[in-house]
Amino acid sequence: MSTQPTPFDSTLQALGLLLPSVVVLGAFLYYPGLETFRLSLYRTLFLGQQTAWVGAENFVQLLTSTAYHHSFAISVLFAAIVVTGTLLLSIAVGYLLFTVSVGSSAYLIAAIWPYALPPAVAAILLNFILHPNLGVFTHYLEAVTPFTLDWFNSGPQAFTVVAVVAIWKQLGYNIIFVVAAFNTIPKTLTERATLDGVGHLRRLRSVYLPLMAPTLVFLTVMNTIYAFFSTFPIVDLLTSGGPGDATNLLIFKLYRDAFEFNSLGLASAESVILFALVAVLMYVQIRVSEGYAQYGA
Amino acid sequence: MGRDTMATDTAQSSTRTTHRDILPENALMHLGLFGAIALMAAPLVLAVLMSTQTTAEVYQPTTIGPGSNALQNYQAALTTYNFGTYLLNSLVMSIAVVIGKVTLSLLAALALVYYELPYERAIFMFVLLTLLLPVPVRIVPLFQLMADLGWTNTLLAITGPYIASATAVFLFRQHFRSIPDSLVETAHVDGVGPFRFLVSVLIPMSRSMIAGVCVITFIYSWNQFLWPLIAVTDKPSQVAQVGIRYIQGAAQAGLTQWGVIMAAAVLALLPPLAVLLVFHRSLRETIAIQQS
Repeated sequence: MSTQPTPFDSTLQALGLLLPSVVVLGAFLYYPGLETFRLSLYRTLFLGQQTAWVGAENFVQLLTSTAYHHSFAISVLFAAIVVTGTLLLSIAVGYLLFTVSVGSSAYLIAAIWPYALPPAVAAILLNFILHPNLGVFTHYLEAVTPFTLDWFNSGPQAFTVVAVVAIWKQLGYNIIFVVAAFNTIPKTLTERATLDGVGHLRRLRSVYLPLMAPTLVFLTVMNTIYAFFSTFPIVDLLTSGGPGDATNLLIFKLYRDAFEFNSLGLASAESVILFALVAVLMYVQIRVSEGYAQYGA
Repeated sequence: MGRDTMATDTAQSSTRTTHRDILPENALMHLGLFGAIALMAAPLVLAVLMSTQTTAEVYQPTTIGPGSNALQNYQAALTTYNFGTYLLNSLVMSIAVVIGKVTLSLLAALALVYYELPYERAIFMFVLLTLLLPVPVRIVPLFQLMADLGWTNTLLAITGPYIASATAVFLFRQHFRSIPDSLVETAHVDGVGPFRFLVSVLIPMSRSMIAGVCVITFIYSWNQFLWPLIAVTDKPSQVAQVGIRYIQGAAQAGLTQWGVIMAAAVLALLPPLAVLLVFHRSLRETIAIQQS
């Protein structure tokens, strides 16, 4: 399909150039990836010194464990909240940036900087600002509303705080894509909509968002993967999974089962389930973007 | 389908909106944008302010202004709580990953695009499918592998698993394919070898893309938390992000020294933020290509 001239024809040389990448990917991605599947069929005994073949027992244990059910359910809910919250806010900010074109370069940087925000830093900053006793935000919130912020003891509040931090950190990445998508919208469309006096919400819903659908699907997939895989530092530094099990997301439970309780086989089974999840999400992303490429929406 | 609705809507074209209507509305949008940006920046601004306060001032939530303890807080973070060491470790790790990943990926993309290669598609798929294997999917065996290799607590453990990448190979491959054939043919006629070709033709033509990959990789490596937490148990070899976890625990004796913790958090944020501010254009251009 490519008509690119291929100036070099030594296959051996080509393999030599590929070798470093292939070795690293093989040794540190494929090998441990496959090992995860093997380990998931074993049970570790004596703090990992010995292993015994148990077949599907780890999976059976997970499927029948109420703790795992709970962790799975709250992770799905968490992902739904993070994905929706992040997308809505990014679309709002992206639309404002797109409409207000004056001086938007400075605005743009001010809107995308959380891309560089380390999740651990995001967690520790809000841990302090929303602190039940010392937090600045807590102080003013409790001064002007009857609401009491007590997420050290309230499960739903802890869950909300973790979600807020996760959304905050993910906004920069999303705004970069949303702004890029807005910028590909033909100027004539915007001019006509403006002249016709089509309201902002209507313009977004029936003109812009349908045109941005491929980007929105892509971001939904990436944000879901983020919510399941990259939120460990946020839970770890804010709630350690608590109070109770209120914020014990799958990724946090996996870490604990593996490295605190040394249940390496069980943790590997949890990894296998996470693999299935990422595989399904990637498949959806590929199918959907292929669909758009073919039918040109 | 969106277009159809649009077409019928615009049929009754009339100029209802005049300039006088647009101006105040525009001001409102500026206000909304300013509010959103202020809200996003507020925690950071507060953290910077709090990092200058004494513990007594911090324990007064109404004291928001800058305090008098900035020097002492940052000094305590850097020396007493070893943040100087952690920051240096993060810097070494991130630069090593950037150099390793960019080098390896440039070589792989060169082979994929400019060589007649049997099973080229299969090799590319082999690289691309690693996207299905984020760290949590292989964390237990990877940890054991590091122990078997004797890499635990070393720089190798926190750089090795990161230096090959599907994303970087994909981006460079896309970019190389967009380079005009005529340039490649000129190089071919001149009988230039592959390394000369890479250094004197491909790299100069891919500057912005390489800068973008460097920025993405630097920020990504710097922000790693879970894997360094597991692979490094020896505190002096730890990176800054996990250092935040240590300082949170250590500064909690008696009154929590939030001023010092905030100083550490600000320090752990500055390098990736600085890189983003300087290279935001390359970053945005490169990141947007990943969607395809």
